[in-house]
Amino acid sequence: MSGPTVSLTGLCKTFGPVKAVTDVSFDVYPGEIFGLLGPNGAGKTTTIRVMLDIYRPDHGQIAVFGGRLDEGKKNRIGYLPEERGLYKDLKLEPTLVYLATLKGLDEATARKRLADWLQRFDLYDHRHKKVQDLSRGMQQKAQIIATLIHQPDLIVVDEPFLGLDPVNTRLVKTIIEEQRQAGRTIIMSTHQMYQVEALCNRIVLIDRGRSVLYGEVEQIKHDFAGNAVVVAGQGDFSQVPGALEARRENGTWHLALAPGVSSQDIFRALAARDDVKIERFEIAEPSLEDIFVSVVQGAGAGEAADA
Amino acid sequence: MRNIGLVLRHEIKTTLEKRSFWLTTFLFPLFIIASTVLPQLLARDTFQEPGLDTLLAAAQPQSAGYVDAAGVIAALPPGFPPELLRAYPDEASAQAALAAGEVGQYYLIPADFVATGDVVLVDSHFSAFTGLDGGTLMEYVLNYNLLGDLALARLLIDPTPSVTMQSIAPATQNSADPDDPFVFAVPFAVMFILFFAITMSAGFMLQSVVKEKENRTAEILLLSVRPRELMLGKVLGLGLVALLQLAIWMGGGWLALNQSGNVATALTDFTLPAGFAIWAVLYFLFGYILYASVLGALGALAPNVREGTQFTFLAILPLLVPIWLNTAFTQAPDGALATALSLFPLTAPTAMVTRLSISHVPLWQPVVSLAGLAGTTYLFVLLSGRFFRADTLLSDASLNWGRIVREVRGVRLHLTA
Repeated sequence: MSGPTVSLTGLCKTFGPVKAVTDVSFDVYPGEIFGLLGPNGAGKTTTIRVMLDIYRPDHGQIAVFGGRLDEGKKNRIGYLPEERGLYKDLKLEPTLVYLATLKGLDEATARKRLADWLQRFDLYDHRHKKVQDLSRGMQQKAQIIATLIHQPDLIVVDEPFLGLDPVNTRLVKTIIEEQRQAGRTIIMSTHQMYQVEALCNRIVLIDRGRSVLYGEVEQIKHDFAGNAVVVAGQGDFSQVPGALEARRENGTWHLALAPGVSSQDIFRALAARDDVKIERFEIAEPSLEDIFVSVVQGAGAGEAADA
Repeated sequence: MRNIGLVLRHEIKTTLEKRSFWLTTFLFPLFIIASTVLPQLLARDTFQEPGLDTLLAAAQPQSAGYVDAAGVIAALPPGFPPELLRAYPDEASAQAALAAGEVGQYYLIPADFVATGDVVLVDSHFSAFTGLDGGTLMEYVLNYNLLGDLALARLLIDPTPSVTMQSIAPATQNSADPDDPFVFAVPFAVMFILFFAITMSAGFMLQSVVKEKENRTAEILLLSVRPRELMLGKVLGLGLVALLQLAIWMGGGWLALNQSGNVATALTDFTLPAGFAIWAVLYFLFGYILYASVLGALGALAPNVREGTQFTFLAILPLLVPIWLNTAFTQAPDGALATALSLFPLTAPTAMVTRLSISHVPLWQPVVSLAGLAGTTYLFVLLSGRFFRADTLLSDASLNWGRIVREVRGVRLHLTA
């Protein structure tokens, strides 16, 4: 694997008495979609702003494209901020051309690329309209065009699916996947956990300004797997030695294991039986949303208990 | 530099595309005319002190009567139109003539007039402001009969009938009549144009900054443009727009003066001093940059246009002072007050240019004043640049006195650190 596109180590940022970010670290590599997750007010936006040199950090190390983020490197970044907007009283086409030229494109190239993007997002016929006359979804698509038009190597998108209908959500997901396949680095912040599960390779979960969870999605889910297995097959799985509880869910059996019993013990026990036929056996994994809630709420409860 | 150029071009383009900009540009001259030339025109007609011959020529066609119980009026002065004063033997007949409308008023000259000097005026329509000219005419007739000398009687009414004014001030370029009120319209107009050109274009700066905060484009811009570049691009772009606006106003005014041979005759006689345009442009540019940087800083701190404009009046207050004290410039352009205001950097942009338009200002004064203005502008640009930061441009905190004081203190500490 090549070196990280973004590397944050021990990032700290305060605003007066408020500690927005106290200890955040993660690396993001080319060709991956990285999820930046956290509850509201956790410090995600501050982390992104510090990473993009909009704010200066109090402490910590930041490396983007292998070093300090200079003005030239900024043109290699596409950013869709959480609080976004366009010039409402200006027309769509000149607004996007202006933003593209600020990213280093010459006007002719910007116009040429813009025409393609507008057609792909079904906005071409609206290019002469004022931004304020476009629907919220159209404005969102225009924002995504402004983020991608200069073909950035690092794409930072904050809630990219906000305000989009299912068709356009699918289009944006396809585009994000295309960018990943093209070798670009994508950092995505969203509260839509099913989108994270569908798109992201790795995640970091920030809570109260700290990284509390970091790694590959599958590994995290595995680590948070409850002491249970999911079994599908023929026969009665309600009575399995070592299983405290067995319940049937959507055609599969969810077996809760007794303390000290491993999934291997259950598998061996089932394999020894002639009255059942195993078609699928897997460790029960919680959803990313369950993990998010349990980590955030668990941390909150822990702090309350300490207090 | 490229980004500054892009922001500059964007500001010019978006401002020139605004309908409000062109409405203001073309309606503003009408406002200037309404607020400067018209009042002067009215003032000339209303308050200009008339000479005796003017009074005789302009006397109301309706005659006045008199009852001379003292027997003073033996004859009317030579050249006095007899139909203006009609003699009546007694008050009853004068009263009847008044009731019949033969006369509009009549004078009663009592028998003891020579001892008391009292004359009674009876007018059909009482008004505190009517009959004053008629009183002067009666006084002229009485003086003539008492003195028996026409020249002396005229002198008593108008002691300085043929004064030739000769200025002992350093030679001015103006050949126009200094008593002509139109001449005073020029410095008024200059003052208004400078004031509005500076404050309007600086106001565009505030709106431009606050709108980018309001519509949330600031964060996208900050990833491409440094805050200082953003500020500089805006100041320069809107400055060029302001110069265009000024050129339209000045050029339009020049064309109007050349095309109009009636009302503007006096104005065309009014020649501005050599180099005036250069001084005006220099003072305008520095004045604009100074106030644009102040209003730009306000815009960087304000979360929306409404809160930003609440403090605009205070920010432009120094420019208003010369307008409030405009009589100091027309009556004594080289007096202590006008000189002090034209040397003080915050009031100099309007005050000095106004003085330059009406008086021959010693060269050292505009030079020193401009140097002070340039230095102050530089300091204000430095100071305002400190407010153009990511945390202020992305902040939603409301703008109030407490916050302004905290920010200024923070900036001062930063500057001294």
